[in-house]
Amino acid sequence: MAQPDSQELGEATTAIHAQPDSKTRRYDRQLRLWAASGQSALESSRTLVIGATATATSILKNLVLPGIGHFTLLDPKSVSPADAGNNFFLNGYSSIGKNRAEEAVPLLTELNDSVDGKASTKDIDELLRTDEGREWIKSFTLVIAHNLGKDTIETLSKLLWDGLANPPLLVVRSAGFLADFYIQFHEQCIIEPHSETFPSLRLTRPFPALAEWAKSTDYDAIDPTDHAHIPFPIILVKETEKWKAEHNGELPKKYADKQSFKSQIRDLQKKMDEENFEEAEAQSWRISTEVPAPSDIQSLFALSPLSSSADSQSASTASNTVFHALLQTLKLFVESPDGPGCLPLTSTLPDVHTDTESYVKLQKMYKEQAAKEAALFKDILKKTYPDTPLDDSMVDLFVKNTHHVKVLRGRRWGVWEEDKNAIASSFGPAPAATATHLALSSLANLQAQGIEITAEALQAGVVSQLPPNAELPSALDDAIGELVRSPTADLPNTAAFLGGMIAQEAIKMITKQYVPVNGYCVIDLVESWTGIVGAP
Amino acid sequence: MDTIDISNLNRQFLFRQKDVGEPKALVAAKFIMNRVPGVKVTPYFGKIQDKDEDYYMQFNLVICGLDSVEARRWINATLVNMVDPENMESLKPLIDGGTEGFKGQARVILPTVSSCYECSLDMLNKPTAFPICTIANTPRLPEHCIEWASVLEWPRVHGDKKLDTDDPEHIGWLYDIALRRAKDFKIEGVTWSLTQGVVKNIIPAIASTNAIIAASCCNEAFKIATTAASYLNNYFMLIGTDGVYSYTFEHEKRADCPVCGGESLDISVKKDWTVERLIEMLVEKQDIQIKKPSLSTPTKQIYFQAPPQLEEATRPNLEKKVSDLVADGGEITVTASSLPFNLSLRITYT
Repeated sequence: MAQPDSQELGEATTAIHAQPDSKTRRYDRQLRLWAASGQSALESSRTLVIGATATATSILKNLVLPGIGHFTLLDPKSVSPADAGNNFFLNGYSSIGKNRAEEAVPLLTELNDSVDGKASTKDIDELLRTDEGREWIKSFTLVIAHNLGKDTIETLSKLLWDGLANPPLLVVRSAGFLADFYIQFHEQCIIEPHSETFPSLRLTRPFPALAEWAKSTDYDAIDPTDHAHIPFPIILVKETEKWKAEHNGELPKKYADKQSFKSQIRDLQKKMDEENFEEAEAQSWRISTEVPAPSDIQSLFALSPLSSSADSQSASTASNTVFHALLQTLKLFVESPDGPGCLPLTSTLPDVHTDTESYVKLQKMYKEQAAKEAALFKDILKKTYPDTPLDDSMVDLFVKNTHHVKVLRGRRWGVWEEDKNAIASSFGPAPAATATHLALSSLANLQAQGIEITAEALQAGVVSQLPPNAELPSALDDAIGELVRSPTADLPNTAAFLGGMIAQEAIKMITKQYVPVNGYCVIDLVESWTGIVGAP
Repeated sequence: MDTIDISNLNRQFLFRQKDVGEPKALVAAKFIMNRVPGVKVTPYFGKIQDKDEDYYMQFNLVICGLDSVEARRWINATLVNMVDPENMESLKPLIDGGTEGFKGQARVILPTVSSCYECSLDMLNKPTAFPICTIANTPRLPEHCIEWASVLEWPRVHGDKKLDTDDPEHIGWLYDIALRRAKDFKIEGVTWSLTQGVVKNIIPAIASTNAIIAASCCNEAFKIATTAASYLNNYFMLIGTDGVYSYTFEHEKRADCPVCGGESLDISVKKDWTVERLIEMLVEKQDIQIKKPSLSTPTKQIYFQAPPQLEEATRPNLEKKVSDLVADGGEITVTASSLPFNLSLRITYT
């Protein structure tokens, strides 16, 4: 799974014969996931965490350990006996009465010398009232808020939504065994989603060297050992050509055709158990389609960049500008008469049953063709976007990943709730997750208004979020029962669980690797499940 | 039994740089007691297999933070065997968790009542194995060159000296040999990191995923201990690579589970199969996972891997047909050092 990453990692960090430096050794188990590029993104990030709760310190623990650059923990409150009892990053009872953030930060930074952490005793509501405060909040890479009052979250989410370059906001709410979280972002462009999709080996539209090899292969003219070593891509290119010639240029698309294509390959075996032919048969799914690009990549070609004139100079917008330039270049590449008529080739060849010499020859062929196509891509890019500042390694990375690059478009926090019918229709596919989310919203409303938390009040609050006469799922009673029991409890286990979940999402947002949640992620630790609602 | 390695520090919040080389259990216990006044943690720095049933009987529940299939099978079989139907105190809930990258799982096992660890062995990913002939004759990937260095060259050059995958000099030697072989065959991509990854079978691990799974295990323990809420029945799986996807389900007991099922495993064998062929089949079987099995019937020895005299005495049986040694419907008992119980097979011929 981590194989391609680990190769890049090694090339970047290893001196011959010597073991890697101590930083590489410390981060080894995570570099195998997000490589040096992901690590450097983490190290240059600055995260603001609002509210020094047990959940907040758990989140920070999981960000300090992998080595984020900087965090600020913001909280004006002092440590209560309840905090001392549930927050591992306080000095027990001796912290009581002292500022929560100031007590927690030294115990967090102590986890990793390379992380810069600061405590701030300022009040978020006051910061939101001044220009200076608002600018300061906007200066971070990512903002995370746990159990903030409803009005504060509304102000904060509007502030951060108002401007494409503003940092994403992670809103976390929890009570007892229940929780949900939401990531507010405009656009997340992901070059490396690490999805398990395979890049095309170009078997249905072979490049010249590959076609030539297939054409010149004569099954009957080669000796039996070599026959058992013909690489499966060569067999498939050759057999696809033959099939197309006999079927008006069509690929085997129907089930019966695919079966006869497989038996066509099976019949080529000269002896029992020729593994290369068995492999070709097993890999014949690779020739079932001939589209220039997968449909989700095609749909990105039509995507126009988000724009807001006020932000055109900012760094974050600029990086998305580059990404969109790369996408448009990809579209031109696919359409170009000088190109292959499809996505650029990646040089990654899977293992193939063959001898060393043939494998190395095939690998070299793929590499050379991939380099040619990458050069064409860069030509088009330079001609089309002469003024866009480009980082060569980012372009290379993009070209390598064009088969699965992703763009997520998010929504402002709370937008989903504005459409009552959308919420009601979410009861069908996700009754328990929707009910739990609404119950948590109802709890936040009651707390904001200072109303006593009762089952009736929570239920009325849920009903007010729905269209008239909406049918309520039975799961709602469970969620409300749990919230009445523990409306304000920050349970250590829930805090620890959320600490892991939110840190995973923060890492995905910062590294722009892997795919973050788009919508509300709802968590129930009574029944131990998670669910997603309100996805755009 | 483990000691702290520098590569643990990216996810272990109880250990610091100065603790590298120290026993994990001791450092963790000390740190927790220091941070949380009033909590008593008793460390045990040793092998779980060195403790007997009396030791495990003193606890109310067991949470596993183990890193190998073998250790998990052992504690699972031990706890299942401990159950005495007359004494409910002997039933110790077992909570197990594991992670890989952004993925993980947590589960609750009630020994003999719900599906046990052994029941779900077939859910494990098959470990990547490279055929020896590829490694020796037709290497293509950098991994093939690394396997050449560790599996073939190390024993050839160093004889009985054991390869220590935690020793940077040993890894350095393998890296060197693998790199040279790769150059000879024009294979690219052998690095220090890959060499270490292949020989140690390194699984990527991060603080956040481990936190989710550890929290999930503790949460189930908390619910069982306090009865504050019902506990997980019985398997929670999480995939965080593409959004957040989780699946909570009841893994079912296997009637023929060799640990908790009480029935022997039905195996059908071709009439002309030799003992050697049967052993080969058993080693490949995903739901038993054994390395070097020894076989016997209630009345005679079929093949024993050790000691050497017994191995030599039973070796001629390898070429004999199973059907000449065991009657149709007869039983074979399988033992192996990696197997914490005796596996009973019922043989039928086809």
